[in-house]
Amino acid sequence: MTFSFRLPRWVVWMIRSLIAATFIYAGAIKIFDPAGFAVDIDNYHLLPWAVAARLAFYLPWLEIVCGLAVLFGFLYRGGLLILATLITVFIAASIIAKTRGLDITCGCFGHASKNLSFVSHLAIDLGLLAGIVCLWLIQTPARKPA
Amino acid sequence: MQQAVFLIALAFVPAIGEAIYFRNKVSWQSPVPASQIVSVTQARSMGENVMWVDARSSDEFGQSHIPGAISLNEDDWNELLPQFLGQWSPDKRVIVYCSAKTCNAAGEVARRLREDAGLQDVFVLDGGWEAWQQAKK
Repeated sequence: MTFSFRLPRWVVWMIRSLIAATFIYAGAIKIFDPAGFAVDIDNYHLLPWAVAARLAFYLPWLEIVCGLAVLFGFLYRGGLLILATLITVFIAASIIAKTRGLDITCGCFGHASKNLSFVSHLAIDLGLLAGIVCLWLIQTPARKPA
Repeated sequence: MQQAVFLIALAFVPAIGEAIYFRNKVSWQSPVPASQIVSVTQARSMGENVMWVDARSSDEFGQSHIPGAISLNEDDWNELLPQFLGQWSPDKRVIVYCSAKTCNAAGEVARRLREDAGLQDVFVLDGGWEAWQQAKK
């Protein structure tokens, strides 16, 4: 059994644009500071530095590529799937770090996010995840902007 | 699922290009430990008890540097190290800096000062020269 629903096209387009823009921006801002992002990943104390340093180069591009896929409808569902996975992993990592008492900067939006609280980050991430799930469940995702 | 695999593979292309471009600006194996990093504010609070080491190229050092800093970079290590050691005193903390947060020259010079020269109190300036300049504003 599958669950799906319909929304007005302009609503779908707004959600799509918002999610895509968020991930494209988040990726783009980190491209210019891979060392800083590597430190942010390393701060979670979940991965060895060598992995964090390499992920710091890869993850921003994955966010951008998937953001573009969602925005333009090319490989749309693949993009949604990856973004949902990324955001879920990030939410889990943030919660783990918090429960371990780590005072971390998430680094999700580069320096722009350094002053956001844990709760604010979590709220943004859950909102994004809800939007992605919503897009996934919409019966016929628009291939092109409305 | 096939779409996701394709996107995962696609993202590798620019990522590898970027990694090649920044290959000398990121420490691939180990970051500078947090205990060995000092901020500009912390460094300033140490007053005169600091010996500044400029790990940037000699050209960049020649253009401008932190007052009193000594040039010591990996390119001219053998020539500059004796000069540095001639001015070093054990009661001073050594703070190494390079261009910005993204550079790893300071971390490398600091590591060599510890390992090659056997110094203990060696730190890296967080944000490097860029942070120093911003703090002046």
